[in-house]
Amino acid sequence: MAKPKLALYWAAACGGCDVAVLDTNEKILDIANLVDIVFWPIAVDFKYHHVRAMANKSIDLCLFNGAIRSTEQEEIAKLLREKSKVMVAFGACACFGGIPALANFTSRADILQRVYQEAPSNSNEQKTVPLTKAKVVEGELELPELFDTVLTLEQVVPVEYFVPGCPPPVDLILKLVDLYATGKLPPAGAIIASEKTLCDECDRTKEEKKITRFYRPHEIITDPKKCLLEQGIICCGPATRGGCGMRCIKANMPCRGCFGPPAGVADQGAKLISAIASIYQGDGTEAINKMLEEVVDPAGTFYRFGMADSMLKRKRITKT
Amino acid sequence: MKTARKIPLLKKMLSQFGIEDERVRLDWVSASEGDRFATIVNEMTEQVRKLGPFSGNGGGKNG
Repeated sequence: MAKPKLALYWAAACGGCDVAVLDTNEKILDIANLVDIVFWPIAVDFKYHHVRAMANKSIDLCLFNGAIRSTEQEEIAKLLREKSKVMVAFGACACFGGIPALANFTSRADILQRVYQEAPSNSNEQKTVPLTKAKVVEGELELPELFDTVLTLEQVVPVEYFVPGCPPPVDLILKLVDLYATGKLPPAGAIIASEKTLCDECDRTKEEKKITRFYRPHEIITDPKKCLLEQGIICCGPATRGGCGMRCIKANMPCRGCFGPPAGVADQGAKLISAIASIYQGDGTEAINKMLEEVVDPAGTFYRFGMADSMLKRKRITKT
Repeated sequence: MKTARKIPLLKKMLSQFGIEDERVRLDWVSASEGDRFATIVNEMTEQVRKLGPFSGNGGGKNG
């Protein structure tokens, strides 16, 4: 029997998800024995035209990492969907927008202005900005077009499974491969992670949550055994899906929400507003204003990985 | 009293999304203050009507 065909792709991503696949160490050899890798830009030299030449649904499993924010990424997402039997949104960016989706607080015009004109490290006297089409002596050059809004993979093509995380932890990658290899994949739409929240899985000592001051991580030396939230560190554990193995918590850093909302939560940020404001002590105007000052950037903190997947999806922009 | 803290934090966050402060209002009305309740609801309705329909422009790739 021919080996199943595996494709991996990166869209708006940092490359960390691809590295996470390589982090399976010697297991990567098992994966390579188990499947034929037919497309993987970071590691294998196949091109887009090789994928285009494949028959529809001839790729058995496609692990797609990264959000969608350009015409090229959209095109390849659609192409790989057409060619793949099973499409997996792999990592926080493909699942929820991830860090790139923080760009949804701004717009394409503002991004180009900031990056190419204003950034202090720039020297761009001719005010050059990237154009989708540019005429040069040799002919016309083309670049993909950047979107105003960063999208999740599922907002562009239908997706069968979701493996969250920034990046997905090795045990979940191996779990997915194992489920696939043994033909035990769950019903489509399943999220390959825990059904519980991170708080449910966290082994730190938890007592009563009564906060009189929120600290940013650099402002306090925390007790490594005690709940970070109880020490005044904003931790997204109450409204974040578990299954990550507490990677950040073990490094004494608060949860930043990369596993997305847990089952039954529609909007991670709204849930966190509720959780964080609930445990703060004091009802007077003074206490409330103090809390508002201490939660420096609520939208950026509570939607750090989930902006594209949130109910509002982006900051409102007015087009002229 | 958790609501007294949740709504200001929510409003701070909504302002980051470019959503007008006037679209959310927290007020306290006792069960015996029927008139006051009606006045506040009418004021709120009028206020939101003035702002016009909410266009979230979320979801599309270019807006």
